[in-house]
Amino acid sequence: MSFFKTFAFCALLLLAVPTFSQTGKPLVGQVLDAGNFAPLVGASVYWEGQVQAGTTTDVDGNFRLPVAKLPAKLILSYLGYTSSIRQVEARDLDKAQKFYLQEADFSLEEVLIQERRGDEQVKNMELGKSTMSMETLQSLPALFGEVDLLRSLQLLPGVKSAGEGTTGLFVRGGSADQNLVQVDGAPVYNAAHFFGIFSVFNPDGIKKVDLYKGNMPANFGGRASSLIDVTLRDGDSDRLHGEGGIGTISSRLTLHGPLLGKNSTFLLSGRRTYADLFLKLAKDPNLRNNALNFYDLNGKVSFALGERDKLSLSSYQGSDFLGLDGQFGLGWTNWVTAVNWNRVNSDSAFFDLQAYHSRYRYEVGLEDRDSGFDWTNSLSESGVKAAWTRILPSKSTLTWGIHTQLYHFAPNDLRPSANNPINRLQTTAVQGALANAFVALSQEITPKLSAELGLRQGVYAQLGKGIQYLYPGDKPDPEVEPSDSISFGRLEKMQSYQGLEPRIALRYLIQDDFSLKLAYNRNFQYVQIASNSSAGLPIDRWILAGKYIRPIQSDQVSVGVFKNFDQNRWEFSVEGYYKDLKQVIDLRNGARVLFSNRVETELLSGRGWAYGVEFLLRKNKGKTTGWLGYTWSRAWRQIDGISRNQPYNPRFDRPHDLSLVLNHEFSAAWSAGLTFVYSTGQAVSFPVGSYTLDNQSVPLYSNYRNEDRFPDYHRLDASVTWKNPDAGRRWKGSWNFGVYNLYGRKNPFSYDFRVVYNNDVNYSPEDGKIVSARPGVVMTYLFTFLPSITYNYRF
Amino acid sequence: MKKIWMLLFASLALFSCQEEVFLDLGKKENRIPVVEAYWTDQGIFNEVKISLSKNYYDTLEKEVVKDAEVFIKELATGKKIAFRYVDATRSYRANPLERARIGETYQLNVSWRGQVIQGEGLMLAPPTVDSVSISFEKERLFREEGYYLKVYGKIPFEDNNNYRIRVIENDTLKNQREDYLLFDDTFGLTVFEEGLELGYAFQQKDRVRLELYRLNKDAYDYLSQLVNLLFNDGGLFSPPPQNPETNLKVVTGDTEVLGYFVVSPVLTRTVVIPFN
Repeated sequence: MSFFKTFAFCALLLLAVPTFSQTGKPLVGQVLDAGNFAPLVGASVYWEGQVQAGTTTDVDGNFRLPVAKLPAKLILSYLGYTSSIRQVEARDLDKAQKFYLQEADFSLEEVLIQERRGDEQVKNMELGKSTMSMETLQSLPALFGEVDLLRSLQLLPGVKSAGEGTTGLFVRGGSADQNLVQVDGAPVYNAAHFFGIFSVFNPDGIKKVDLYKGNMPANFGGRASSLIDVTLRDGDSDRLHGEGGIGTISSRLTLHGPLLGKNSTFLLSGRRTYADLFLKLAKDPNLRNNALNFYDLNGKVSFALGERDKLSLSSYQGSDFLGLDGQFGLGWTNWVTAVNWNRVNSDSAFFDLQAYHSRYRYEVGLEDRDSGFDWTNSLSESGVKAAWTRILPSKSTLTWGIHTQLYHFAPNDLRPSANNPINRLQTTAVQGALANAFVALSQEITPKLSAELGLRQGVYAQLGKGIQYLYPGDKPDPEVEPSDSISFGRLEKMQSYQGLEPRIALRYLIQDDFSLKLAYNRNFQYVQIASNSSAGLPIDRWILAGKYIRPIQSDQVSVGVFKNFDQNRWEFSVEGYYKDLKQVIDLRNGARVLFSNRVETELLSGRGWAYGVEFLLRKNKGKTTGWLGYTWSRAWRQIDGISRNQPYNPRFDRPHDLSLVLNHEFSAAWSAGLTFVYSTGQAVSFPVGSYTLDNQSVPLYSNYRNEDRFPDYHRLDASVTWKNPDAGRRWKGSWNFGVYNLYGRKNPFSYDFRVVYNNDVNYSPEDGKIVSARPGVVMTYLFTFLPSITYNYRF
Repeated sequence: MKKIWMLLFASLALFSCQEEVFLDLGKKENRIPVVEAYWTDQGIFNEVKISLSKNYYDTLEKEVVKDAEVFIKELATGKKIAFRYVDATRSYRANPLERARIGETYQLNVSWRGQVIQGEGLMLAPPTVDSVSISFEKERLFREEGYYLKVYGKIPFEDNNNYRIRVIENDTLKNQREDYLLFDDTFGLTVFEEGLELGYAFQQKDRVRLELYRLNKDAYDYLSQLVNLLFNDGGLFSPPPQNPETNLKVVTGDTEVLGYFVVSPVLTRTVVIPFN
């Protein structure tokens, strides 16, 4: 069956689901901040005494609420705001109403840790989705006091870290390049600063982040494992505001306010590190003369074009630089720009159009008379996405649209300096195009049973200009020369793939506070990183699917039970999943991929699978909030040519993973946060012996990969925050004192198996006379008892 | 580039500590023979070293296998060149008058306790080395102050351009992981004509012997993978450690084998860094 027939059939199938029509005109309105008139997202709106029949506001603060009988009392509530009760008359239905909520400032008796309705986890359709509000994020103890979005997500069940201090995420057995990180809809290809110690997101510029651990809606796709959807804030439409912080290693400032009257706003947010100052303190002159810094700059302007249209332009630029002695430099930059147009066609029809461009570039340079060089590479993705949403009168929502993407991976280009006799190296550029069509229907089948059915069809083509090599037996081998090659002209199709991605989610409400959910999700991924190290490097080579590198296919089945207790003060969930991955890649021993035009000869391909159970107990209200998460999971790979073709665990397979996050408000001025994490050690290969070769000792490894484990990882972080309780003043400041790794656990970063000279791990043969030499194991560990202090402010 | 990455990650050293630890490591059930065989056009370089692997923490010297039967066979003629164990060198040696001939393929045969290990290699023609220059260089980024050698020559070959230069400084082979000098034609070969600089700073009066080998691809890959392994620190930025892929195979028996077989021409030069 052709794609279009399949599409039409499924759409009809979805529409054929029995529906229950709603009669009467709904109440349509918008909830705004009374101080700055900014729309409030996720505010709860319900009729008095009918909490469960309520709704929440959308990204523009809008809501639609069915009306049973008028007049009636409408209740509006929102995190950090004083609840409002309004009498609604029949005449109020004639036009959209605006409701203003007053900020409760620091006098909250209770603090919600998420911008969502109390019973949302039970009643929504989402499985494997976590939302983290900025309030939660900013209350967590942080490394160097730097609130970090990606590291905070590692505290959620099903999300593993690569290792100590790094921000790489491994979601439900997927590798780090299987996560789509996007800002206002535009992808970020390297979301890491300083080799992964920090992520690129300045928390002050972010409104919220949603993590989809598998069950993505049909309007998203492109990665096999997860979606990390970051939404930047809109500026305040009332007056100029500022906020920021001065921290141990960086400072940040955000300004936002009206731009051209109240119908347009701007937000400008920046962060810059001063790690260079730490380097100046180093004894080693090789370190002292270095430069090491990064910055982030976020900007967003939004325009309300009448009552129905909103246009926004978002841009992020972030850059890292590492310099040595003014002669060597390594820098990398992300530049992401997105334009979003949201239109409300009617009370029940919406249209969203988005265009974006994301570019990542790095440069390595050495100024040297004889061996200087300049090495650059860049890649970009441009896309346009249009989505139509229609709220049908049958308690269903239909969304459909298209998403086109164009990839351009520029040559890896190494240019030697004038006196450097080596040849210039330049790979050929590669291009690809991906067109997706999607349709999704969210349908309440009965009051207890709801379904969300989606289809996404991707059509991908690798495009010329380029050369396709042919190999004997169609098997690329670094030892075998190509038997032939085919040259393709500009934009000529070199290879194509297509894949249908069904997305199905069911929710059955067993009780009002107890639900069961099932989901199945398929994703195709057409771009990936050719690397087999666990942490990403800025020079990692992204590759496109082609004749020999097939797209990754991911199929995930998940099931979960969700239960709330004590009037939604407590949430409990258990989710289980099984994920199957096809065409995952790894590298041959000694593979050289950076400057190869025949990178397919360096790759091995196989399958992977992962399964696990995730438990989450969360307390949302009260002076003490937080969660306890525990995950038991396993991840496997089986790739011919590795581990004697037997299944093996990737490094991030860490079966037991526990996170405890607690926040407590002692008073209006004092609060404290505490985080404890525990996980099984990383799966690694340790030597099983040694041998002598070329007059030196060489560690001997097993033929089977990752049969050993690092010791278990655990760490306790704590922070105390003091804030000025005087709510009347415009300048509001707070001090945060934190300690990372409070009890100084020496969690290994690496083990180096090498000869130890003179019983001193830092002694080398070049240092002088050798009196003893023996095989040893040298452990490197990072960040033991690392205090930090940060001053945060806003005005 | 490896030195660059070492420096990059040294930045992490600001927040890191190192200490020696003891890990309970696994063991191989059987000790594995390690064969290191060189068959060249110069008799003095022709030797086969055979030893056994050991447990990682074992501080005893390597156990040398002395009772193996070793010979090299010239495949085209079937001629066998026998190797005998020599106590002084703790290796197997052939008649120094026997040498590899350009264009011939040779097969290494090692028989030991019912196991037969074989490897093959083609004797390639050597490049030309014209001269070696010495120059004093002040300290620069990634370079210590000292005397640097440049090797000038010509490589006229289109294929099989895989080279190793061994540097022996005052009778000591430079074999630390950063000392390996392996190059192929990835960056072109004009560098050899314009002067290939060795990345070592020598001092006055140093006696330096250079040995240039033209390797078969499999032996070159073995050494490249060996260097990668020696640089593998087991951290997140390193690939999973793997043994280098040997170009030897066990044709009889069920043991594994480690090591490599080199068939190569050797060009040597000896220079003495002058005093003043």
